[in-house]
Amino acid sequence: MSVQQRTLDCKDLHEYLKTLSATVLDRLYNHPATCLAVFRELPELSRLYIMRILFVDQAVPKAIMGSWVSPNSAKELEDIVKLLTELRLWQEVEMQGGLKGWLLNPTFRRNLKGALLGGGNEWSMKPPTDADPKARGIAILDEYAMGRWECVLHFMVGSHQHEVISSDALQILQHAGLMKKEPGENQLTITRDGFQFLLMDTSAQVWYFLLQYLDTATARGLDLIDCLGFLFQLSFSTLGQDYSTDSMSDGLQKFLQHLREFGLVYQRKRKDGRFYPTRLALDIASGPKKSMLNTMAATSLNQSSGYIVVETNYRVYAYTDSSLQVALIALFCELMYRFPNLVVGIITRESVRQALRSGITADQIVSFLRQHAHPECYKEPPVLPSTIADQIKLWAIERDRFVYKEGVLYNQFDSQADFEILKNYAQERGVLVWHTTHGRKMVVTKEGHEEVRKFWKRHSRNGSM
Amino acid sequence: MVNVTKGILVECDAAMKQLLLHLDETHALGNKFIVQDLDETHLFIAPEYLEVLQTRIDDLMDRISFPLAERETD
Amino acid sequence: MKPTGKICRLYHPQTNRKFAGKKRKEFEDESNYDEGIPDGTEAEGVPEAAKHNIEVEGERQGEDEYGAKDYRDLQLKPDHMSRPLWVAPNGHIFLESFSPVYKHAHDFLIAISEPVCRPEHIHEYKLTSYSLYAAVSVGLQTHDIIEYLKRLSKTAVPDGIVDFIKISTLSYGKVKLVLKHNRYFVESQYPDVIQKLLKDPVIQECRLRHSTSGEDAAEDAQASSKPVPDDITNFYDKMDKDEDDDDDGSLQTVAFEVNQEKIETIQKRCIQLEFPLLAEYDFRNDTHNQDINIDLKPAAVLRPYQEKSLRKMFGNGRARSGLIVLPCGAGKSLVGVTACCTVRKRALVLCNSGVSVEQWKAQFKMWSTADDSMICRFTSDAKDKPHGCSILITTFNMITHQQKRSYEADQTMKWLQEQEWGIMVLDEVHTIPARMFRRVLTIVQAHCKLGLTATLVREDDKIADLNFLIGPKLYEANWLELQKRGFIARVQCAEVWCPMSPEFYREYLACKSAKKMLLFVMNPNKFRACQFLIRYHERRNDKIIVFSDNVYALKHYALTMNKPFIYGPTSQNERLQILQNFKLNPKVNTIFVSKVADTSFDLPDANVLIQISSHGGSRRQEAQRLGRILRAKKGAIAEEYNAFFYTLVSQDTMEMSFSRKRQRFLVNQGYSYKVITRMAGMDQDQELHYKNKEEQTNLLQLVLTASDMDADEERVPGEIGGRPGPFGRRVGTMASMSGADDAVYMEYKRPSASSNLSKHPLFKKYRMK
Repeated sequence: MSVQQRTLDCKDLHEYLKTLSATVLDRLYNHPATCLAVFRELPELSRLYIMRILFVDQAVPKAIMGSWVSPNSAKELEDIVKLLTELRLWQEVEMQGGLKGWLLNPTFRRNLKGALLGGGNEWSMKPPTDADPKARGIAILDEYAMGRWECVLHFMVGSHQHEVISSDALQILQHAGLMKKEPGENQLTITRDGFQFLLMDTSAQVWYFLLQYLDTATARGLDLIDCLGFLFQLSFSTLGQDYSTDSMSDGLQKFLQHLREFGLVYQRKRKDGRFYPTRLALDIASGPKKSMLNTMAATSLNQSSGYIVVETNYRVYAYTDSSLQVALIALFCELMYRFPNLVVGIITRESVRQALRSGITADQIVSFLRQHAHPECYKEPPVLPSTIADQIKLWAIERDRFVYKEGVLYNQFDSQADFEILKNYAQERGVLVWHTTHGRKMVVTKEGHEEVRKFWKRHSRNGSM
Repeated sequence: MVNVTKGILVECDAAMKQLLLHLDETHALGNKFIVQDLDETHLFIAPEYLEVLQTRIDDLMDRISFPLAERETD
Repeated sequence: MKPTGKICRLYHPQTNRKFAGKKRKEFEDESNYDEGIPDGTEAEGVPEAAKHNIEVEGERQGEDEYGAKDYRDLQLKPDHMSRPLWVAPNGHIFLESFSPVYKHAHDFLIAISEPVCRPEHIHEYKLTSYSLYAAVSVGLQTHDIIEYLKRLSKTAVPDGIVDFIKISTLSYGKVKLVLKHNRYFVESQYPDVIQKLLKDPVIQECRLRHSTSGEDAAEDAQASSKPVPDDITNFYDKMDKDEDDDDDGSLQTVAFEVNQEKIETIQKRCIQLEFPLLAEYDFRNDTHNQDINIDLKPAAVLRPYQEKSLRKMFGNGRARSGLIVLPCGAGKSLVGVTACCTVRKRALVLCNSGVSVEQWKAQFKMWSTADDSMICRFTSDAKDKPHGCSILITTFNMITHQQKRSYEADQTMKWLQEQEWGIMVLDEVHTIPARMFRRVLTIVQAHCKLGLTATLVREDDKIADLNFLIGPKLYEANWLELQKRGFIARVQCAEVWCPMSPEFYREYLACKSAKKMLLFVMNPNKFRACQFLIRYHERRNDKIIVFSDNVYALKHYALTMNKPFIYGPTSQNERLQILQNFKLNPKVNTIFVSKVADTSFDLPDANVLIQISSHGGSRRQEAQRLGRILRAKKGAIAEEYNAFFYTLVSQDTMEMSFSRKRQRFLVNQGYSYKVITRMAGMDQDQELHYKNKEEQTNLLQLVLTASDMDADEERVPGEIGGRPGPFGRRVGTMASMSGADDAVYMEYKRPSASSNLSKHPLFKKYRMK
């Protein structure tokens, strides 16, 4: 009933891993690349801890671990413990003398060591033995990557470029809840989540999409572990370097073809025996977090191509001729003029409300504008005028001024005691929405009503007043 | 005995509650729609009026907002 | 012009002698101007070609799927990155302010078009026939305009635009009316145009036959003696040279003399023939009128934008008539004074209030060598003897009203009408109704007219006429730029949202009379916010002025907070005392003023302005009020905000939309209004009034007993173009907004009617739940 804003649930790497079962996770840690990726994403303090116990083969007493931080940081320590436990990077063991300690997951240990120090199995992908006669430069790779990825987006937006995407991709979009078939219709239409997805930055989009893909991996006859492992390997590869497909299993080859369709890898021809990772692949595993780890070299495609200017008078000037970008801007702006290389629009209350109604949040609009800010805007901070950001949020808040909940009102109790009893019951059941102390009124959720009613019947029959 | 009524709990700030009371009193939605005035920030209303109410509120909010920067330049 | 309102009841020449004198004085100096009944002469004096509207004509282009005007078929030039602007077929131009050639492009666009909005990065301008008329008036030629525009444009310039420029400029600026050696000539560098004119019978009538010198050589043209700022491209130099250099064989000036008494006739006729006469005054060679001994003092240093504007006026050694647009507080008076010192002939300055007259006198004395004997004020107060003075300062009303005058005033008027004034300066020209201005023209013979204003925006759209009555826009400054360069204060504008207390809101919703307005002005939360802000800023040693258009609120706020206040009935003495204290007494840091302050007196410097009640959506008023604090503080660092402009609005009431409307002009100049929904510490502040329900309820009772009249704006002397009286109702007053569900504020346009939002294909497909 209540129309609340729901933000797209975009897990980062760790959150994703937490959803996997213990067995799967353990098998995952058999891959050095995975371990390295997981490690890299840990908060600083956690990484420090891991490093300290990496070379200590036995368990380490909790007390000692606890002493590594100052007493003020008890909360931080708690967080670390929670995270590392959930990721199954260590487990609690009982040591001699009844002491409790932490033991680093041996598989993880072994493979992380291997990844950091070398030795052990060859874990990174190998370049082919011969040089590529038709080597591809980075610029081409970038173009390819964005072109492919945008096919998916174009499809979602339904813009003129009638890109055809594979049935696999269609399936994933549906599985992800980004698009759906309306009853009685053949075509897919975009959902609220889909709108939000469109405004996310590219690396977040790709990651989200991949996670959805992995969900369906087993159904496709692919090994989730293998795929994940391969993805992590990709994320550590070098942009511009080609790699051999020789040692890849059939399953992985299939996976590779999908990655090719989405723009994560480039392959001139299947039979080439080699492929090039693109920037999209390199950003993997950073998830929706701003890829600060990926420094200048491997930044997401967005930053170098900022193209939107937002003025203090609500005008929006976008240096673009991409129908996709224009479609995105039109989601929350009114467009006024189209020049060959410029779109002039204006942010209005109505245009923002329209976006809000379709499921996009104010924060998303604001961060979209910030992400794609034209280089000129960086000269004088803030990049997006604060009055505009504020106003967009204010328009969103407007919609929250009324909160509606379906429910049932109970009032006119004969006695205060009666009221108390029923109210407490409802509260215990978690279905009490509102109540007064004097005046003896309460509201219960629609769903909870049955239960409460039955309780009341029983209670009054017993007649204890 | 206890009185049981199905409906919708509305939560809002005190000023907006006055707005709803006003609409109710003036029969702006056709009929009275408030079942109970609960407290400063809550009302209980009859469920069938929800949509009409929302449209009405949107209307009123629209009216007091003036386009800050217009599409047509003046 | 009929006197209206309360004043007329008191003013009765025969019976109420006692009152008549006083009232007439007030009336003459500062009173309401009645627009009167339109008599069909509004469109007079405006040439046909000026009525073309490229904005409408250029609409033939199609729209894209989002409802935007689709100009994608314009050809982008290969080097478009190094060009700064786009020209749309509907006459709108977009300029990149970060382009390396921005400065030149900006100057050019100001000269040929009207700015629509000029925020930080990208400006918008629009071409209109008026703006093009202005361009040729300062000497730009059709060919050059088109050429330069083409050079600056990223794409090919649409054909329609080229045509439009030609149509709008070809016949303008070709003919001038020049006073030379005491004779009037119609002069042109286009012989065919002269011939055309000479064939017309009406013009033939105006011609003075005894002089046979049709050919006039260029003895007149001399470069201006003022140093020319070197900030304009070759292009402009080229333009100037063409004007001066008449010996260049290709262009020869042809002229014929006209009868001085037929000047107006010939002007009108030329407009009808689509060859409006540019008035240029060759003051250096005017031996008929005596020079006045006035010079600029060495201390008078012009800022770059002041120089620029004057250069446009005197660019070719003659004085052009026209309008100069500068933000409030940017030094318009110095521009006016300098213009008078340049022309050095008898000068007339028209202001819109008695106090402005005083200000101008002070300005003349400050910047020029003129002394008391040379400057005379013609107001009902002043005892100056205007006859024979060099500089006469008076009010619009003083010379245009048709009431009976005193004997002396009559004599002065006669003398005024007989003079040939070298220059007439019109201050705050945007506040004068056009018809009043026409009247001025029939009374005053001036060789050159300079209109000074802060904004060309008028709610009634009669600005167009001023172009042809005074002259075209000569120069318009850029607010943001002036702010950045420290010439006007950096102002932080803020809108403070004050939630309505539930009880007040309840009454507001139920109220069907004018009192509605009183309810949102007297909102206790607004009072608290005001009090809080005052305390906050007083602690910072700021000087604060609080504006309230509504007198009831003004008095209540001021008295409750124990602050001095000034409104219509406040005596002159008391006003002076309060203002002096405000200026000099460190204990008096806040004053409350009503609308009188807008025009009636010289507000001392303040750096905080708080508006608690401002009616209607007047953009001009908003800009003007802002101007009060725009005078840059000495020693202020240009980057920091040093002035604050707060508007307190009651949430969920009509006040919100009024406020937004008023802001539009300033927003287009690049200002942004921060919205403040909460002020930290306000709820905890125990010293603020109305902190509990009881106090609030008492206030509500008080307000409910007020009368409808209390809800009105102050009808105060000093407002030009104001409403006719207590009986008339202006569009948008509270009476038309009764009840929350009723008739809508008339100026409001429902956005959905004209919006294209539903056109986004994605939204069409997506069904929203």
